[in-house]
Amino acid sequence: MTEILNILAVGLLLGGIYALVSVGLNLIFGVIRVVNFAQGEFVMLGMYGALAAQLALGLDPYLGAVLILPALFALGCAVYWLILRPLQGEPMMQIFATFGLLMLIQNAVLAATGGVAFSANSSLAVGSVSLGPVQVGTGRLIVLIAASVVTGGLAWYLRATWHGKAIRAVAQDRAAAKLMGVNVQRIYTISFGIGAALAGLAGCLLAPLYSMTPQIGINFILPAFAVVVLGGLGSVAGAYLGGFVVGLTEAFSGYYLDPALKHAVLFVVFIVVLVIRPQGLFGHAGAEEVGLRETS
Amino acid sequence: MLTRRTFAAMAASATAMTAVGTFGRARAAEPLKIGAVNPYSGGMALYGDEVTRCYELAAKQINAAKGGLLGRPVEIVRGNATSAQEGIAAVEQLIGRDGVEILMGTYASSISNAASEAALNYGKLYWETNAVASNLTERGLPNFIRAGLAADDFGRRSVEGALELVAKRLDKAPSEMSVWLEHEDSAYGTSIAEAQKRLLEEAGVTVGVGAHSFKSIDVTDSILRAKSAAPDLWISTGYVGDTNLLLRAARDQGFAPPAIMSVGVGDTAETLDALGAEYLEGVLLVSFPRADISEDYGPGSDAFLELYRAEFGRDPVAPQGMAAFVGAKILFEAVEAAGSVEFDAVAEAAKAMDKPFGSYETGYGARFDDTLQNTRAVPIIAQWQGGEVKAVYPPEAASSDVVNLPRA
Repeated sequence: MTEILNILAVGLLLGGIYALVSVGLNLIFGVIRVVNFAQGEFVMLGMYGALAAQLALGLDPYLGAVLILPALFALGCAVYWLILRPLQGEPMMQIFATFGLLMLIQNAVLAATGGVAFSANSSLAVGSVSLGPVQVGTGRLIVLIAASVVTGGLAWYLRATWHGKAIRAVAQDRAAAKLMGVNVQRIYTISFGIGAALAGLAGCLLAPLYSMTPQIGINFILPAFAVVVLGGLGSVAGAYLGGFVVGLTEAFSGYYLDPALKHAVLFVVFIVVLVIRPQGLFGHAGAEEVGLRETS
Repeated sequence: MLTRRTFAAMAASATAMTAVGTFGRARAAEPLKIGAVNPYSGGMALYGDEVTRCYELAAKQINAAKGGLLGRPVEIVRGNATSAQEGIAAVEQLIGRDGVEILMGTYASSISNAASEAALNYGKLYWETNAVASNLTERGLPNFIRAGLAADDFGRRSVEGALELVAKRLDKAPSEMSVWLEHEDSAYGTSIAEAQKRLLEEAGVTVGVGAHSFKSIDVTDSILRAKSAAPDLWISTGYVGDTNLLLRAARDQGFAPPAIMSVGVGDTAETLDALGAEYLEGVLLVSFPRADISEDYGPGSDAFLELYRAEFGRDPVAPQGMAAFVGAKILFEAVEAAGSVEFDAVAEAAKAMDKPFGSYETGYGARFDDTLQNTRAVPIIAQWQGGEVKAVYPPEAASSDVVNLPRA
């Protein structure tokens, strides 16, 4: 029983990481309908930003988020405005552009760091708490709590605020929203900025858990794509819950079968879910066409 | 009688001799270019640079001491390769554009594998100093000679450490010992773990094995599996990122085996920054011979450190550098003995070498087997002590005694 509880905890904590990384990715997809390949690099920039804030200002990586969040929001807005907006109407070119951005950011950080792995340690992330027989790393627990708060906060923002409603309106029907007086380009820009800021937040929260390298973003983003497709394209709640499905699948298969097989098992589950429910576990049929759903 | 015809013939001969002489002198002054195939960009650039930097140091030394090799100054030409495909392109460029006559490398085995095959297509020698995968020499390529360590050597040395250091300190017979082997699941980690498993089981040790991807973002499941086996010694073979992640997960999960050993990595500031000196105290490291090994074991290691510091104004980035330096020195000796840069002549000269252990800065000797693997290149065991890495095994290489074993 202890064993199962331990694995359950590992899966939930890993799910928290996936959820945190995936929520912003799915928001961008849901609203702008761009698969942002550079989302992992925004996470990586968040990690290096937390490190820079620690080295320059002595800030704990978690506190570094106060600076990183607005910085990544501004970067996201700039990327949309300068790179993706001119390519509107050419979705394939937008995808290639985000891929180019991935390479650009990765190599720029590589040139700046010389490929050395850095760590941004936080005293809050060291050690673990015992919940009965289960050991829970405090750093991962913080990520899980943050992922839950962020998803809840984002859902509230989309439902309760004027901006949120405008985002949903644009996601559902761009032309109708425009006719109602919504500035579509502004909404796209803000949405991309929020998505990048969420990735930056993820980076700050993950920085104390990993040795960061310029390539680390890809390690996060590949499973995140599986999460958003499994959870449901365009569904914020789907990204959150999909994170746990993926985390638990990996943890149980890694422990009971073989850690080397956990990704194979994950993608078997992935294919089975898609065959049975093509819209993903929590998505709606046609979400890839219409974008972010009201229920999210 | 000097006829006009005789005079013309003599004049032609003299002109020809002069031309040959001029050409010969020009040839003598031409540098002997050696292509260094390594990653100089991307995630492995730090170590690729370090390896080639030490080739350049060895070249500078031989140029200063003897004016070069075969009467020609040695010049190292860099060929950037961050992947196997780029390894092939780098070889083609180095030979076609830069006119290198020998190729050497390599920080990564996959790059070495492809680059050495490309070198064979051009009939050039590929001299390996750093890549460790066992299959590199097992392929039987006639142009591939490895002066450095092989994966089996890491396996053998780590098992030696398990039996000679850990078992004795824990006061256990091998049959009472249990070891968990955690390895990353590519050819590098797998080949070392297979050698470790075979040798440990032959010694009667109970062995558990776990594999993980070095790209995993969570390895807690691997740690829980190891923890449930309650081993006396936990040996990890991987890259920097996954090794740090494993150690962090072990710490967070309260997995505290009496002894921890890391193979190949874990001995740089990257791991110290991630885990801190207190947690790392006593962690054993199977590593390329370091510059702090005793002078008895690696004669000239102190001088190498001085030379490196004088040239670059800091300590070596990683121990792979000294291994590269020594690998280049063995190459120079083999080429000198062969009197040629042709791979078959150098291979014959290498096979004729018989230098005992302790002939070079790394403690290596030189004795090549039929697969052209240097059988006298072996790693050492070091240990984290007070935030520094100290050589602790074999005893003749040790710069410090073993501490914190079993771990407090």
